Amino acid sequence: MRKLAAAFFIAGMLFCSLLLAADNSAPALTTVSAHSLGPERLGNLPPVLVPGNNPQTDAKILLGKQLYFDTRLSKDNTISCATCHDPALGWSDAGPTSSGINSQRGGRRAPPVSNAAHSPLQFWDGRAPSLEEQAKGPIANPIEMGNTHDAMLRTVDHLPGYVDAFRKVFGDVPITIDLVAQAIAAYERTIVTTDSPFDRFVRGDQTALTKQERSGLEIFNGKGRCTLCHWGGYFSDGRFHNLGVAPAPGEKPDEGRQAVTKDPLDAGKFKTPTVRDASKRPPYMHNGTEASLLDVVRLYNRGGGTDDANLDPLMFPLGLSHREIEALVAFMSRAMVSTNPSVASEKPVAPEELPK
Amino acid sequence: MSRTIRAFVIVTGILLMIPQVSQGIPAFARKYGFNCNMCHTAYTKLNDFGQRFRNSNYQIPGQEGLEKNVFETAPPLALRTSFGLLSSHTKAANTSGFVLNGLDLLSAGVLHKNISYLLIYTPRLDEPAADHTGSAAGSNPSQLGALESASLVFSNLVKGAVNLRVGRFEPSYKPFSSKRSYYLIQPYDIYSFTTPSNDFVFDDNQMGLEVAGHFKSGFRYACGIVNGSGANPDNSRAKDLYVRAAQVFGRGEGQNAGQRVGLFGYFGWMPTVSDDSTFDFAGQGNGSSHEPFRRIGCDVSLNWQTFNLHGMFMQGSDDKGIDSGATENYKFTGGFTQLDYAGLMNNRMVGSVVYNWITPPKSDEERRSSSFSVLLRYYLGDWTAVNVALHAEYTHREEGKVEKVKTDQLGLLVDFAF
Repeated sequence: MRKLAAAFFIAGMLFCSLLLAADNSAPALTTVSAHSLGPERLGNLPPVLVPGNNPQTDAKILLGKQLYFDTRLSKDNTISCATCHDPALGWSDAGPTSSGINSQRGGRRAPPVSNAAHSPLQFWDGRAPSLEEQAKGPIANPIEMGNTHDAMLRTVDHLPGYVDAFRKVFGDVPITIDLVAQAIAAYERTIVTTDSPFDRFVRGDQTALTKQERSGLEIFNGKGRCTLCHWGGYFSDGRFHNLGVAPAPGEKPDEGRQAVTKDPLDAGKFKTPTVRDASKRPPYMHNGTEASLLDVVRLYNRGGGTDDANLDPLMFPLGLSHREIEALVAFMSRAMVSTNPSVASEKPVAPEELPK
Repeated sequence: MSRTIRAFVIVTGILLMIPQVSQGIPAFARKYGFNCNMCHTAYTKLNDFGQRFRNSNYQIPGQEGLEKNVFETAPPLALRTSFGLLSSHTKAANTSGFVLNGLDLLSAGVLHKNISYLLIYTPRLDEPAADHTGSAAGSNPSQLGALESASLVFSNLVKGAVNLRVGRFEPSYKPFSSKRSYYLIQPYDIYSFTTPSNDFVFDDNQMGLEVAGHFKSGFRYACGIVNGSGANPDNSRAKDLYVRAAQVFGRGEGQNAGQRVGLFGYFGWMPTVSDDSTFDFAGQGNGSSHEPFRRIGCDVSLNWQTFNLHGMFMQGSDDKGIDSGATENYKFTGGFTQLDYAGLMNNRMVGSVVYNWITPPKSDEERRSSSFSVLLRYYLGDWTAVNVALHAEYTHREEGKVEKVKTDQLGLLVDFAF
């Protein structure tokens, strides 16, 4: 009898296991914030995917560029997209966090616009599902551009140069926030990195990386465990992780992804930023608390920051030696820097060149 | 002639002592495009991420269901073997010979979200080879192979806390895996120590099921019910039970980071009467009587920079009823202490020393043994999914109480994983 009971218990356990484990209801990609199933191999960036409802045209890209650099989109004509996403600062800003209208300072630093087209979700917490949706946010954010969408549209509507440009691009339709966002997003999709030494190395140029940088790449993809999150051509999984980064002194804890999902398991999680061109935009982390790439690597080498309330299960002390840290930093700071003219040397549109 | 026979016996003995299995699964490295030391301090030893990846049953921890399964990736196949020269010196004889040190054919991966598998097929590589036509022809009848592992894991039945493994697998009661030890010739003596009339081998894979889990607090547990007698059929209807608990302090798994302490216990039944003419549904002999035995112990793994000091102590006890000639329970103790170091850029070189000891009861003192081993491994290549290591390993062993037999072994091997 006892044996029979045990057999039933085991059979029941197996059956329940099968039922529970064979969970077919994998969440939709947008829900899980994964742009693909990965990790994937490090490599060159694939072509940018363009949404069907916002095709790229030269006129639209030019219009988007003008809007991107135009401070008149803000409430007091002082802030443009480029104020916080400055090409000269790696398409981010000097930090540690970004400052907007009336010198108000936000709690996070500006994520880079370069290669953002490859990110499945936008903002540190992934609250925008596309570049178009992202572009609408800062205009109406009270501590960024401080405007309202309606007020911004009235400004644009009173500038004949913009009215003509919108008509050329979109036809004879009223200018809306959606069209403004589409134009800006079209421009941002041109800001991609494809010509770093790493890219040339992957394409077969064995001289593109120095010996130290090759060691750094080897560590990046192995002992340093960087590719657990910084994978693929984009060098990011597009997912969200809690690295244990403590708030800056005097700041409150940032709930990160949890603010979007309302899931306590997402507390303190932020989107993995790309490593491409990272050396051009210190400081690092969502709140700019790490001054240099060397500091970032040291943080990882310690196994993450001091706040371990919801620490990612991928965080461990790495045991990197000083030489290994140097090689890793050399790889990221030199081998990942692009020389694409449109990314590396993009010049702002001068105010006199903006539509009047 | 007698010298030749003695040499043959010693070489054969050494070959049998070499573990036929040691693991490293480059199929995972190929799947993700990672270098091998993403998961290994230097293969075959798992680092903290590798251990957690294994605990998550070959899924990236925290991202279960967000990766490709085996049908969407390169073939999930890998192999590992090593070849080299092995020499042994005792007072009685000096021997040396080339050895092909086992071959593992592995396949592992994720079949579906939270369902993964591991298969290891291990062909026998006994000497002489199957096509040998000399004097010893026919002494290796079939070059049979065996499934060392064939298991399915159902993960995250309760997130992280309950994972169920079924089939033939490496049980988690072992605090340190000999299969993922750097040592190719001399891993852990206590793991392979057998007692009179009891063929249970602590190191063997087992057939059964295991429930294991891990928690954010650093606590890990495993418990299982298995046939016992490792991969061999068991003549006992009573199944063996085991349990393991460990606590990691600090971030890590106690492999390279964090400090780990643990306890383990294995409680088995050894058949004392067997009737091979009667078979149950599993094809096993029907033992009608059995007696208990146990293996219990503790372990610790301490880390500082790239040094890892770890060891275990085990106490074993067999009921006197297992050995018909015994008048009291057979009690023994044993264990090992090992210090590993990883050095050079990217852990290109590892070194290790290990001390093993076994203390049997007074009635069996001639089986007392202690050994001291040292090894050095240097890894060639660039840590992509093909790995070659140059391996040098030396062991000095002393066995017996009254007439001590001293053996010195030196192995120079090339360890290859693809």
